Amino acid sequence: MENGQSVWTSIRFWRRSAAWVTGFASALLILLTFDTMGQIKMGTDEDLQKGITKRVPAPTVINHHIDYKYSKKRGHEVPVIGDKEPFFGKEWSPKEARALLHKGKLTVQAKNCINCHTILGNGAYYAPDLTKSWLDPKWKQLMAMTNSKTKEEAMAKFLQHPEKYPTHARRMPNLKITPEEAQAVVAFLKHLSTIDTNGFPRGFSKGVKEFEAGGTYAH
Amino acid sequence: MLTSIKSHKLQYEGQKLGMMYFRVALVLFGAQLLMGLIAAYQFINPDFLYGIFDFNVARMVHINALVVWLLYAMIGSVYMMTPEETGQEVVGVGLGKLAFWVLTLAVAVVVVVYIFIQIGPGKESTIWLINEGREYIEAPRWADIGIVVVVLIFYFNIFATYMKGERTGIMTVMVADLLALAGLYLAGVFYTDNVSMDQYWWWWVVHLWVEATWEVFVGTLAGFALLKVIKAKREIIEMWLWIEVLMLFGSGILGLGHHYFWIGTPEYWWEIGALFSALEPVPLVAMFVHVIYDWGKEQGAHGGSPVINNGPTMAWVTINAFGNFLGAGIWGFFHTLPQVNVYTHGTQFTAAHGHLAFFGAYASVLIGMFYYGIQKAYGIEKLKATFNSKMAIVLITFGVIGMTVALTIAGYEQVLVERAELGAGWDPYFTAQALPWMKQAMAWRMIMGVVTFVGFVYLFIDLLTIGKKEANN
Amino acid sequence: MLFEPFTDVVPSFWGWLNQGPLTLTIFLHTVIILPMFWIYFQEKKRLGKK
Repeated sequence: MENGQSVWTSIRFWRRSAAWVTGFASALLILLTFDTMGQIKMGTDEDLQKGITKRVPAPTVINHHIDYKYSKKRGHEVPVIGDKEPFFGKEWSPKEARALLHKGKLTVQAKNCINCHTILGNGAYYAPDLTKSWLDPKWKQLMAMTNSKTKEEAMAKFLQHPEKYPTHARRMPNLKITPEEAQAVVAFLKHLSTIDTNGFPRGFSKGVKEFEAGGTYAH
Repeated sequence: MLTSIKSHKLQYEGQKLGMMYFRVALVLFGAQLLMGLIAAYQFINPDFLYGIFDFNVARMVHINALVVWLLYAMIGSVYMMTPEETGQEVVGVGLGKLAFWVLTLAVAVVVVVYIFIQIGPGKESTIWLINEGREYIEAPRWADIGIVVVVLIFYFNIFATYMKGERTGIMTVMVADLLALAGLYLAGVFYTDNVSMDQYWWWWVVHLWVEATWEVFVGTLAGFALLKVIKAKREIIEMWLWIEVLMLFGSGILGLGHHYFWIGTPEYWWEIGALFSALEPVPLVAMFVHVIYDWGKEQGAHGGSPVINNGPTMAWVTINAFGNFLGAGIWGFFHTLPQVNVYTHGTQFTAAHGHLAFFGAYASVLIGMFYYGIQKAYGIEKLKATFNSKMAIVLITFGVIGMTVALTIAGYEQVLVERAELGAGWDPYFTAQALPWMKQAMAWRMIMGVVTFVGFVYLFIDLLTIGKKEANN
Repeated sequence: MLFEPFTDVVPSFWGWLNQGPLTLTIFLHTVIILPMFWIYFQEKKRLGKK
């Protein structure tokens, strides 16, 4: 330390380097943020009709059949937006779909879902991840339990009265979700499953196949 | 701690204000641990308080109490160190005290609403009044605004004092870091329907706090503590502090990328997130080792026995140096590579890392600052650790490490069975949760949580009594 | 196969840099660290003059 001649023990050198690195890293982060913002902006209904792939598609994606399949090009699973299918028995206009998604997202926040579940892998670890919950094969069983004709109906019924349909010792509590809120949350979850998560969760589609073949995850 | 504010030993009003913050921080620390115990027990017995005080509520209060007590202790520490570093009374102490009471009242209201109202209807009003439903920053919007106002007052006080008094290197880093820390909170105060966008900015707050600005903050604090407790050389501290800023910000800012692997953001974040942030905690340990080495050498040269004028603070700062390296560094690097993270993301592995990192990097050094405050408030020349201090150190450290090990084992099991073998989802999740490996790990987590809590009781008693006891000696 | 064809959803400058082995992260580290050499030699000159 006494040797003030070495640059490596010079406070001034480290201070200037720290200032440079901090400032430049911040600048890079801002540049990257601009690029990412453009890429994760929600798509439009037009994009969907033209078949343009968006990382986060328009709310009207709820009018389509959704799948999650391995893509050879990407090297992992990607959401596949298929043909149109009714959602709660109808096709939703862009305006209706946006309003529904808005209510769904608000409800997910208001009911504090992420302090048990994870969404896109972020949240708490007391309950299953919701990222691809729309595609979960378990809903088949819930359709029978709730006496529902469609998956979305089963999901909405389950969300309103989870305490009535226990599947494991750890049960979801009743969060006083109204029928409208339940419908909106299902829309949120369906939209969530269409976000391109770079292949997270990995191997999900393989698990679905196994489940559907055996009706259970045998081990 | 009880009579510390009435003490005539504290030269500066600003330091008394610091002690006020410490007292609330300690109470919230206890609340955090209690909530953690409830949540831990619900993993073992899911019927416990089902439908009354569900896991999501216990967990929300657990993590919010954590964030808030750390912030309280951080503000308190800054009020403790600012007058000593600048040689100036804190500017605007009256305003600072008002801000303290406003903040404390707001925190109390938020907690009462969390506990008794818990959730609201799916409307904007819930986000404004009850809870925002975003992890760590659940505080409703009205409280966000309050927090911003209080932080502005706090920052003005510190900045004005800094400008008026002596501008040491330590204070320069602190003042710059606090500005970034306060400004980043704004990135979390907005609503969007786009969940990817939501999480993108949410991480600006959470990551750039916990893995950048807070880390620099504790580096500064640890430097200050070493300066005071073992009379370390200022040049060594300041040099390492700038190296810390260089490494922490240089890698931590773009290290944000490791949260952008799977939330809808582009693939190029894989590479950015994988390698930045790997070197973060190295300089913190390096500073500590260098300071201790130099200190031992100096003391030896003078032929005297080494002087530590505050035993408990020194012990907690030591735990901080290595706890930060292990918890934030090693446990963080375990799962920062996307190849690993695609399986570990959103599992108990993250919880293991979180427990050791928050304790090792933040709780430890702030507990050390509590003791420093007591030493000053009671005017004790040399504060020695009591039996209670030692019990607190041993039990809390052992408890947290135990919880971390248990959660790491739970995490491995969850990663391999739920993620790698079964591919995630409803049944895979519960299949993994039901295995004995998970259940045993959760039982051990509970036991170690109780150990930690007993350690906290010792800490609580010690902080209340050590000042008076030692002052009379 | 060392340099992959572009596979991400939207082409961009950063995505393009990401096509080779660690090329993006090496690029970013380099542009951050290189100017430190300049800071180093400037400091060395300054200390030498003293």
